[in-house]
Amino acid sequence: MTRPASSAALPTAYVVLRILVFLNWLSGAAIAALLVAMPNRQWIMSAFHLSPSPDADRLIMGMRAIAAFGLVAIPLNYVVLKRLLAIVETVRAGDPFVAANALRLKAIAWTLLALQLLSLVIGAIAKAVSTPAHPLHLQAGFSISGWLAVLLTFLLARVFAEGTLMREDLEGTV
Amino acid sequence: MAIAVKLDDLLHDRRMTLTELADRIGMTLANLSILKTGKARAIRFSTLEAICGALSCQPGDLLRFESEQAERERPAAAG
Repeated sequence: MTRPASSAALPTAYVVLRILVFLNWLSGAAIAALLVAMPNRQWIMSAFHLSPSPDADRLIMGMRAIAAFGLVAIPLNYVVLKRLLAIVETVRAGDPFVAANALRLKAIAWTLLALQLLSLVIGAIAKAVSTPAHPLHLQAGFSISGWLAVLLTFLLARVFAEGTLMREDLEGTV
Repeated sequence: MAIAVKLDDLLHDRRMTLTELADRIGMTLANLSILKTGKARAIRFSTLEAICGALSCQPGDLLRFESEQAERERPAAAG
């Protein structure tokens, strides 16, 4: 069997994923700190130049809710990154067509689905609390590329499951 | 499995070892062992051809269908 020439993609992916895992925890800690240490209403009002009004209160409530949902996304991100790292490891070891990778991809697909739903919720909250006086712009909500990624990952998981079966058949062929 | 591999019997009849057969047909001993012990999931026509050529036999001499039921009844009949 001819092996693909080794490229810089794998080591790069490995390093990038490791960095992303670290950044994910870091942002998780930052959101948690924001939620726990900063519930001071006065502080938020001055930081965002808000004038006391029911709208401003709604905005603060909305931001807290978004932060809470953002915190939920951290372990989900970790699930995706950790499984991607494990897949990269198997590619480096030269044997990616294993049942474990099919399961990992399936887990990633479900997690991406959950993250897309979370994004919809966060987008809806942002839209609900945003007013012309206090606009709240967030990169959340419906994303075609996001949903396409979910679909693609589910498909890839099936491809891997089939590939694993074919690989097992090939290995049992004399 | 219902397909039994009779490689052991054929080798015994021809006074040949598995290693000799492996050398003759250019297959690895490991792969031939998989076939001999019935752990193979599939056999290539090229492998079948090489084995039949080396042992001067027919594919039917190498493989035999044994129904699962007959296999279950055999130990009872023997005992």
